[in-house]
Amino acid sequence: MEYVNPLTGFRVDGRRPNEMRQLKGEVGVVARADGSALFEMGNTRVIAAVYGPREIQNRGQQVNSNEALVRCEYRMAEFSTGDRRRKPKGDRRSTEISLVIRQTMEASILTHLMPRSQIDIFVQVLQADGGTRSACINAATLALADAGIPMRDIVTSCSAGYLCSTPLLDLNYIEDSAGGPDVTVGILTKMDKVTLLQMDAKLPMDTFENVMELAIEGCKAIATYIREVLLENTKRLECQRG
Amino acid sequence: MVALSEGEKHFIRGGIEQDIRTDGRRRLQFRALSVETGVIPQANGSARVRLGGTEIITSVKAELGKPSILHPDQGKVSIFVDCSPTAEPMFEGRGSEELSAELSVALQRCLLGGKSGAGAAIDLSSLIVVEGKVCWDLYIDGLVISSDGNLLDALAAAIKVALSDTGIPKVNVSLSAASDEEPEVDVSDEEFLQFDTSSVPVIITLTKVGRHYIIDATSEEESQMSSAVSVSVNRHGQICGLTKRGGAGLDPSVIFDMISVAKHVSQQFMSLLDSEIAAAEAEAAE
Amino acid sequence: MLQSKSFVKKTKQGRIQKVVREHYLRDDVYCGFVPCSACDAAAERKLDAAAAAILVVDTNVVLHQIDLLENPAIEDVVLLSVVLDEVKNKNLAVFNRIKALCTNKARRFYVFANEQHRDTYVKDMVGESSNDRNDRAIRVAACWYQSHLGESTKVLLITNDRDNKRKAIEEGLNAETVESYVRSLAQPGLLDLVVVPTSGDVTMEDAEDHRPSKKKVIYNEHKPMSEVTSGLRCGIYHQGKLRVNRYNPFEAYVGSESIGDEIVIHGRSNMNRAFDGDIVAVELLPQDQWHESKSFIADDDEEEEDVHLAPNSADDAPRNTSSTQSTVGSSAPSVSSRPIGRVVGIIKRNWNSYCGSLEPMPMPAGSRGVAHALFVSKDRRIPKIRIQTRQLENLVNKRIIVAVDSWDVLSRYPSGHYVRTIGDIGDKETETEVVLIENDINTRPFSTQVLACLPPLPWTLSLEDLSNPNRQDLRHVRVFSVDPPGCRDIDDALHCTLLPNGNFEVGVHIADVTNFVHPGTPLDEEAAQRGTSVYLVGQRIDMLPKPLTEDVCSLRADVERLAFSVIWEMTPDADIISTRYTKSVIKSCAAMSYVEAQARMDDSRLVDPLTVDLRNLNSLAKIMRQRRCERGALTLASAEVKFEIDSETHDPLDIGMYQIREANQMIEEFMLAANISVAEKILKYFPLCSLLRRHPSPTKEMLEPLLRTASSVGLNLDVSSSKALAESLDNAKSNDPYFNKLIRILATRCMTQAVYFCSGDLTFSEYYHYGLAASLYTHFTSPIRRYADVVVHRLLAAALDIAKLPPIFQDGPQLTGIADNLNYRHRNAQMASRASVELHTLIYFRTRPTDTEARIVKVKANGFIVFVPKFGIEGPIYLTPRGDKGGDWVVDEVHQRVTKPGTNISYAVLQTVRIHMEVVEPQPHRPKLQLTLI
Repeated sequence: MEYVNPLTGFRVDGRRPNEMRQLKGEVGVVARADGSALFEMGNTRVIAAVYGPREIQNRGQQVNSNEALVRCEYRMAEFSTGDRRRKPKGDRRSTEISLVIRQTMEASILTHLMPRSQIDIFVQVLQADGGTRSACINAATLALADAGIPMRDIVTSCSAGYLCSTPLLDLNYIEDSAGGPDVTVGILTKMDKVTLLQMDAKLPMDTFENVMELAIEGCKAIATYIREVLLENTKRLECQRG
Repeated sequence: MVALSEGEKHFIRGGIEQDIRTDGRRRLQFRALSVETGVIPQANGSARVRLGGTEIITSVKAELGKPSILHPDQGKVSIFVDCSPTAEPMFEGRGSEELSAELSVALQRCLLGGKSGAGAAIDLSSLIVVEGKVCWDLYIDGLVISSDGNLLDALAAAIKVALSDTGIPKVNVSLSAASDEEPEVDVSDEEFLQFDTSSVPVIITLTKVGRHYIIDATSEEESQMSSAVSVSVNRHGQICGLTKRGGAGLDPSVIFDMISVAKHVSQQFMSLLDSEIAAAEAEAAE
Repeated sequence: MLQSKSFVKKTKQGRIQKVVREHYLRDDVYCGFVPCSACDAAAERKLDAAAAAILVVDTNVVLHQIDLLENPAIEDVVLLSVVLDEVKNKNLAVFNRIKALCTNKARRFYVFANEQHRDTYVKDMVGESSNDRNDRAIRVAACWYQSHLGESTKVLLITNDRDNKRKAIEEGLNAETVESYVRSLAQPGLLDLVVVPTSGDVTMEDAEDHRPSKKKVIYNEHKPMSEVTSGLRCGIYHQGKLRVNRYNPFEAYVGSESIGDEIVIHGRSNMNRAFDGDIVAVELLPQDQWHESKSFIADDDEEEEDVHLAPNSADDAPRNTSSTQSTVGSSAPSVSSRPIGRVVGIIKRNWNSYCGSLEPMPMPAGSRGVAHALFVSKDRRIPKIRIQTRQLENLVNKRIIVAVDSWDVLSRYPSGHYVRTIGDIGDKETETEVVLIENDINTRPFSTQVLACLPPLPWTLSLEDLSNPNRQDLRHVRVFSVDPPGCRDIDDALHCTLLPNGNFEVGVHIADVTNFVHPGTPLDEEAAQRGTSVYLVGQRIDMLPKPLTEDVCSLRADVERLAFSVIWEMTPDADIISTRYTKSVIKSCAAMSYVEAQARMDDSRLVDPLTVDLRNLNSLAKIMRQRRCERGALTLASAEVKFEIDSETHDPLDIGMYQIREANQMIEEFMLAANISVAEKILKYFPLCSLLRRHPSPTKEMLEPLLRTASSVGLNLDVSSSKALAESLDNAKSNDPYFNKLIRILATRCMTQAVYFCSGDLTFSEYYHYGLAASLYTHFTSPIRRYADVVVHRLLAAALDIAKLPPIFQDGPQLTGIADNLNYRHRNAQMASRASVELHTLIYFRTRPTDTEARIVKVKANGFIVFVPKFGIEGPIYLTPRGDKGGDWVVDEVHQRVTKPGTNISYAVLQTVRIHMEVVEPQPHRPKLQLTLI
């Protein structure tokens, strides 16, 4: 299958290889959470809710009393994929993604400012169309910011792949299932540090560099967008206050 | 979990006594309702319903299946509810299983009728494609995104809205000569079967706090209840299902009283919901 | 800039699923019109300002009129993405042609992504068929173009769809049919290219009044697609690719996976209008109808066997002699074990354009108007094709190309249209071009992009090359090459040095083509596409541009050249002690021909170092050859012929068998050894992505003709393994000196062809090379003329860690695709070479009727097939007049003997007969070589 039309240069959904899907971010979508956000990358739609910092619920989980405990759970809604299939909760994939998100977010949260407390991040996938991992991280960043949790930097994530000898930004589900490599990158945007890097499949070294660079470009574009959303939100809150 | 101080508890109970609740509502008043349809494009029908701080997403997916041997002339409908931990940290892991199961069963009871399928809110025989061979299986999934009390009523409302949004593709069946073979099914891309949702009931839960009962209770208010009765009522004022929750016993006369109140409130709620659905559909069509 | 638009689609993948895809609409899709000022200045532009009209074509115009579009008279065409997508779904071959037009810089064909443009995307409407929707999209795009370009530029919608045209005109567009547009161009020749829509068939029927079968339904209707699919599913029908017998166009085979066997299809009516290569649905006939047709030389009234070059492998050989019929003979009823069926539907057409000529016919009186003619393809598998033309007098004695358009049940032959003229029939250049076209050989000059990849010329060895630590300087070594006379593309050179310990250092140096051809460059892509150089009589079509082929890469004498070397240390008994691979710099001291090298070795007076090296190599080669034969390698023989060509007229002056000398065998031996060594090395490093060459063992069925012939002369061959066969061939002796060679030639043609493959696609046991009795083999030694060797060079360089493995090797399917293409090109190149030899044989005998000796290789009911050793050709000799199905003669299948009852005249297989060879013209301008018994 041609994932990049050789005559028009467009991808199956009409994007160019280095274009991202349409983004949408919204904070404060879960009324009772301390912070929450909805994040969409095209048809991929996730909700993140943050509870905390609050008292540690289960003392046994506390590792270091000088730092806040960060916990994360990733869940797919039954209807989030084309195939409706009941999956057991806490399957391996979900556990792995939960872990990845937790570690990525932990890297940006100033945990030492909140000793003996815990922060829960819950991400719920409403629709999956490729790049759920990235969308969850972006949603979690927005939700943490909404909860007012101190962070070093904004973490954003984006994936890129390599199909038809072309590096492609932000793969959707069809492209993701094409069997090509899928590089997911998460960066601390201002510090320019990579906090998350995952890839499946094989890729020659020099191609990999190009693909990863493209993914980093994507992360930066998302960071710009996330800042806009937060700024917008702050302005709105300011207005409401007076 | 709602942790309340004695003062707060007193305040809530007192407010209900006086017919002015903490958020300024009267006892038989709903919170602000907002409805959105088509939120899950991959589903055949979907809805998002917000009732105050409670938010539900429901999706309806239709798959072709085989009717059961007992009811060869009926399709199948199943309802599953899941409570996302985004709504409540307590729902983390397996924490929501008990509540999800309770809600699922309550909804099934109110919407699907008895074992025979009789009295179901959804006309199951309209789901049949070829009798005894092919039928539609509807999977209704409710997801609690945000929870601030009265989940059951909100879920039932969301299901009603999602069903009204549901279009089932029209199928052409070519029966092959040999009757024992699987019939060939061809799905049309354009034409859809719309559901008649007028008979789908709404659920009204009356929560008893002290001597009085209220509708659309928030989490705080629910923490003060002694018992609650959920009544599902259809457009014609018929009662389709009933569930009593909570430990305290109720005087039968109070129950009758509650039912008649619920019936009255349900008609208001139904017309409110109808106008919201119409507005949401108009918006989706744009 | 992004505009999102989700739309809903339903697919069924067993289950019913709702699929949602995003579809982005954009405002940065540009019109491609040169003077347009509204569009982005940097965008690609193709449509000429001076164009009389900008043409927008619909899908059917592309599908059916592709020959017209390819004509340079048609320019300034806009191809909408909706049209391209539809074309791609319906006919991949046409799509590739239109794609080539769109990417050709010399043509003004512009692709407009209308589905992505904000203003030209159309939503599906309820109740609208996808055809109507696409037609609407085409009209909307045409309207957009008209309003975008303004009134001064005419936008013309070309469509043959009456409804679409009417709607377009109603919407204020300019629209015309293909025919009326072409008429307006006033170039009469162009009109022949226009495919007449089916409504035009009426006139065709009129023209065929003399046919008795005028209104008769000749073929069964094809079953509707829905019935075919359900039939396939429940196993009544079987799907497969139809393969027509190259030697008997009335017999075809369909390889069916569901049956696991080939279904035989007899006769045109059972083939039911299917062409060679079509994907068809077949219904089996009841088992009691599984008869075999009897084997005559000529199978049908209008077909006959030609004199042709003796086949070299089973793939070239006629298949129509089925084993059952012949072995069982007359004693058993002739019911075949092979399933027989008939075609009920065509799933995918493989229609193409074909080379051939018009059937001779009287010139119609007053031939100014449209004439109808029958076209006969050179490829005998293709039926005759009816065409209509306005230029009959120009076409009668020409080789022309014709494309097929349709085949109606009422019509005995398919209808097609004229595409272009190649030249006069029988003319050497024309016929050579026919050979090249028929075998899909690219003879176009190399493009400027390809030539831009060449190193600066003249190329000389640079210091950089010398200082490269991976490149060994072997200029001091006495390297030399031995090749056929006049060889300009010298791939390989050798050296042989006596070491102090009494062993020999033997080096095989191969042109370092990959030093100049880098992966992913246009040069590399072109070479990969061509796959191999093609050698015709007196002509070579190069895989790589001439400067590389003849100079920069060629290991010529007395110049410094880059090489890739395999160097062994060998004992005098030819045991390999060590093997080493390196890139190198060499300077060949002599480029000899086989004859020269042989003469040196034979001349005992010569004791110069070069001659000594040759003799040493030769003695090593003899031992190696001996060992190889002991392992079971087959010494096969083929009837290769050689022409002596007049240097001015390029006509053949003399013809004879190619003589194989010891020197040839010596070089061959070291090339085999190098290839095997390299195969071992690359497979060790890249077990999943090495390109290897295998030779599958022949099946019992394939060896059947050989065994039958052998047993009829009392020879018992053991074919249980290649070793057994090699031994029994060695033992096949008689007092006839040519007997052994003849048996070997017959054995050779029972073999399959060796093929390239990707090591990841097969298991180790399948890697076996039967003919060479080698467990591993590949091609390393001819990178100038074979792309497989280029691939192997890259693998070897990566295995030695002196270069990175190109990314393509990570991609299994693509690698398999490369191997498939190489096999296809390789086979075509062989077919073309053979066809070229056949052509020159014909030219040679045109002026030289000859009497010669021939050997009978096959006996038939009405004659026999003879093989002429001297000229390497094979052809029929008829004992009875044509059309008479041999009542006078009796065939003894067991002894392969044909006898005339009542006389003692009989002919048996392998018998020597004297024949007369002469070119005759049974029909004017249709010369053919005829063999008759003296």
